[in-house]
Amino acid sequence: MTIRNVLRDHGQRYRPRMACLKKAEKVVLEMQDPTTGVKLQPQRLVITTIPHAITGKTDRAFFIANHLSVCLFSSEARSFGSMLVALGYIYPIQDHKRLVVKPDASLYRFQTPYFWPTQQWPVEDTDYAIYLAKRNIRKKGILELHEQEQYNHLHKWMNHKWDFIVMQAKEQYRAAKERKKPDRVVFDCQERAYWVVHRPPVRTPTGMSLSLQKTICDLIFGDLQSIMRPRVKSSVSIGALVKYCATYKAHDPFLSKCLPSNPWLTDDVTYWTLNMPNVEIPTKMRVERWTFSFGELLSDPRGRDDFRLFLKKEFSGENLAFWEGCEDLKWGTAATMKEKAEQIYKTFLARGAPRWINIDGKTMEITVKGLKHPHRYVLDAAQTHIYMLMKKDSYGRYLKSPVFKETMKKAICPEEHKFSESQLEQNARNRRPSLSPIVIRQQEQEQKAKMAANAPVDITQVMSKLSKQGKEAPPRRTSVNND
Amino acid sequence: KTKDKCQFLCVVACYRHLASCAGGCTDSLQLRDELRQTREKALTLAEAICRHLTSHLRDKTLPEDQRKEMELLWVAFTSSLELLHVDMCKVFNIGDTFSLTNTASLVQTGLQGGGSEVAARALSLADLNQEPPTLPAGLESQEQRAMEQEISQIDHMIDDMEKKVNVLRWMVEPRGPQYADPLSSTESASFALVSVDEEQPGHEPLFQRSFIFVLLLLLAVVLS
Repeated sequence: MTIRNVLRDHGQRYRPRMACLKKAEKVVLEMQDPTTGVKLQPQRLVITTIPHAITGKTDRAFFIANHLSVCLFSSEARSFGSMLVALGYIYPIQDHKRLVVKPDASLYRFQTPYFWPTQQWPVEDTDYAIYLAKRNIRKKGILELHEQEQYNHLHKWMNHKWDFIVMQAKEQYRAAKERKKPDRVVFDCQERAYWVVHRPPVRTPTGMSLSLQKTICDLIFGDLQSIMRPRVKSSVSIGALVKYCATYKAHDPFLSKCLPSNPWLTDDVTYWTLNMPNVEIPTKMRVERWTFSFGELLSDPRGRDDFRLFLKKEFSGENLAFWEGCEDLKWGTAATMKEKAEQIYKTFLARGAPRWINIDGKTMEITVKGLKHPHRYVLDAAQTHIYMLMKKDSYGRYLKSPVFKETMKKAICPEEHKFSESQLEQNARNRRPSLSPIVIRQQEQEQKAKMAANAPVDITQVMSKLSKQGKEAPPRRTSVNND
Repeated sequence: KTKDKCQFLCVVACYRHLASCAGGCTDSLQLRDELRQTREKALTLAEAICRHLTSHLRDKTLPEDQRKEMELLWVAFTSSLELLHVDMCKVFNIGDTFSLTNTASLVQTGLQGGGSEVAARALSLADLNQEPPTLPAGLESQEQRAMEQEISQIDHMIDDMEKKVNVLRWMVEPRGPQYADPLSSTESASFALVSVDEEQPGHEPLFQRSFIFVLLLLLAVVLS
């Protein structure tokens, strides 16, 4: 069935997902059976008798115990009955506001299926307003305090519909008068019971509202948090997005041409070779990306090398070394964490350390305190401080430095490949798998060890190391290309 | 057209009363039939009002006060249409759960009479002089299918109305009072007779006193 059941539901009222409703319905239906169900008795009013009332006493308990084929004590049977009342399948005739089953002769009645609790249709405020208006029509001033408040609140909130609500209330009232008196009484009881369940007075536990109250608290906290959350104007955030897109558009291999050629399309791996992590001569595009942000520079290994070179010239290499040490701690194995933290402390933070970094007193205090019980993120504060320091200070100078200018001058801009069909086929045939990741990782670690052993070094050694690496990498590839 | 609208509201209200009987012990073929007839009447009225309102509100040359009048009618009409829609969906579901072939499972709600008088009011007939229809095989599923169609008809009507006319609901100002005026006192008195039980549970002496008082009052009215 594709009928749109949820009409104009803007999800503003929480509706508890209650799988128990189906089960409760089944039990209630079984209770109706004339032979095996609950015994019913008539309710005596002054002028009339209304049938189909049940007591909370032994017969219902007996029924429940029997029917569920479990050994239920009468108190359990009573609480099961109370649950049915709280959900709204059965309502007490006297004392209608307390939704419990009392172990005496007080009477209850089954609620008509129209008023059964359901998840499909939210309990509409419009209906509630009509109900309250109806009650007021019947006897002015009969509304209780909480109902009065609700009525006023609804009048304010649904003001545009108010004529409709009043008119509909009158019509429903008149229609009700057409019915016979006992039926009118029953219908009134039914409706009243329905609204006690779904719009309970404060502090009345009902089956539908307990979870509602709990989630109201959650909603309130959620709203508090969302009010306190820092917000950005959409014009600002959209501006940032546009700027990002404009900046990176030329560098995106999907949106613009990939120089020399996209390996996935032409099976020619020059692009990857030229952009290896530790290639000696980077491409122009790569160098350009370093100027976009400090994060870009640091995340590119070649860029980081270049930056390290520059810092060594300036004799402030310890900042970058500390930052790298912190990264190592964050991403490293848990077993080595403790010793790494100690090593970093000894090298960078302790008083009189060989590569002492310059952070403010408060951060130092927090870090040292944290190092007593080291964990992965114990150096976060100090790392952020150093990062911002490098970004605001060294980065700017790096971009103006001769090191960078040199690198940019030497950077290559490869020609675009123009392969013919036969060449493409040949490339496809010459495809080779790349180095295994294990091998790559080993190489990385060797390099790191070498760096650690040689740090701090002077510039000439670093330069020679870089040129040695540059000579190693390409030969393995060019042999493939020359086939 | 306000007369039509009043009639429509009346029909919607009656439908709700009938719907509340569905699934209960007074649920019967007759009730289902009455529901169907009320539904059909409601739909015909709805179509007429919809056409009228839509055409008027799309007319850009409508003077301002008439437009306000129309918008009020519009809000009232859409709200009652939504009520009708929900009621129809509920009856549809109840029809699915409670089949008239198995009367043992109908809920013993304490109702004794059917909704014939209410249906009569809805259809504006003096009274419904009908024999209860017999049940040919498959009538119920036929009914359900017809109902499905009617519900989707109302769905489309609501959708259409939303698309064709742009009424800013929050700008509409009601004309009536916040509290509905109580209807005439004799009506409410007789009602009070029966409903005293709910308002004052267990207050037997008080109830008897007010009972006697009301009797005296009626007597006085009759005699004067």
